[in-house]
Amino acid sequence: MTILLLAEIWLYIGLAVAIVFIGYGLDRVEENARGSYLFRPLLVPGVILLWPMVLSRWMTVEKTGYDEIRRDRPLRGGHFPVWIVLAFAIPAIFVGAMLIRQSPPLTGDGAVQLAAPDR
Amino acid sequence: MSVKYTPVQWTKSKIAYDLVVLAMVFTYILLFIRIAPQFMGDIKPADGDIVRARAFGTCAFLLLTVILCIGPLARLDRRFLPLLYNRRHIGVITFLVALSHAAFVLNWYFNFSPTPRLEALLTSNTSYTQVLGFPFEALGILALLALAVLAFTSHDFWLSFLTPRIWKALHYAIYPAYALVVGHVALGSLQSQSDPTFTIVTAASVALVCGLHVAASFKDRGNDPRRQSEKTDWLPVAKTAEFQEGKARIVRLDNGDRIAVFLHKGAFSAISNACAHQNGPLGEGKIIGDCITCPWHGFQYRLTDGCSPAPFTEKVPTYALRLEGETILVSTKRNPPGTYVEPVPLLQEGN
Repeated sequence: MTILLLAEIWLYIGLAVAIVFIGYGLDRVEENARGSYLFRPLLVPGVILLWPMVLSRWMTVEKTGYDEIRRDRPLRGGHFPVWIVLAFAIPAIFVGAMLIRQSPPLTGDGAVQLAAPDR
Repeated sequence: MSVKYTPVQWTKSKIAYDLVVLAMVFTYILLFIRIAPQFMGDIKPADGDIVRARAFGTCAFLLLTVILCIGPLARLDRRFLPLLYNRRHIGVITFLVALSHAAFVLNWYFNFSPTPRLEALLTSNTSYTQVLGFPFEALGILALLALAVLAFTSHDFWLSFLTPRIWKALHYAIYPAYALVVGHVALGSLQSQSDPTFTIVTAASVALVCGLHVAASFKDRGNDPRRQSEKTDWLPVAKTAEFQEGKARIVRLDNGDRIAVFLHKGAFSAISNACAHQNGPLGEGKIIGDCITCPWHGFQYRLTDGCSPAPFTEKVPTYALRLEGETILVSTKRNPPGTYVEPVPLLQEGN
């Protein structure tokens, strides 16, 4: 199974990144993390899953520091278009799935136990 | 806030909130395991693992519905705001409940064969080109991955490290995750249910979540101030008589920035409308002491310099104001976060 092998490789790389980042990089990029150790294990699963993003962000902060301007530029305006699409898509998924059911969904028709075939 | 990080920043209210959520989850799962098997319409009584998988699965779906309703409810009616403060903890609980559901499914339906369980899960049904009999498990796996990303990045460190903008974009994954879960449920469990109860519950969840989000979106668009050009250095905000003591009026610039202009103790101050934590709308907050309190998570900033009171270190940009006749004007040039600006008194000499 290629997909499971790729997932395994992803997790091993993520674990290696997590060890280096949480052991060494965290103190360099995050002032509030210095001297705090109890919360660090909580970061491990996130770094393993998102290691490319962590590496990219780590390099950016090392090179240019935190961009204060970006911290108060909210992501706005995304909610409306997302929900205009989802408000049609989600009911369509539900109704479509109910239409292909072999018996109508609200009739209470249960599963039928088939008789054993004659030998 | 911006003190040394701890695993969880507990407060009395957060502990009470989490205890209530956990009590509801445990009660639901126990009641489901005891009562629901009588109504499932199975020919033979379902095995314990199957009932547990259904209990945790339905619980995760209901929790996801609750999480998705809290945001728009708080925007439509401020009385729901307290539910928003600790929503991230419900998110983590939802992920753990969904993970338990997946574990029960794996340990029953994909066990007892020489094929490894994960491999069996991914290869037992590969009919991706047909709707009837679609491998709905794949939709559940993707949704679980999305919930994992949200749960694993729920600590405040991630907000600070990624910046609120990237963090918020990442956490938009909750919306497609819900669509995937609806697909997972409707193409899976609901295809064979003889009892209509969970079909009705799913339909109600879809209607509620979609209806509330669309209603909140329209309300937000209706309330959003008109864009103002930045080509001039000073923009009119409103007549002084239009301000209410302790409240803000919000101006929106062409670049998308929003400025909250407050009247507090008879003087005007202007700061960015976006909280440094999760970009909550400061202009809709309450002034406590001389600080504006973000309505989303309670972060506070002094109106005069945009700084959080010690020991916290968050800062938001400030803006200069001036009074021209009876009109308050705001500078379109933002000051660096934390810059002190002298408040403009309502009644100036000579007025």
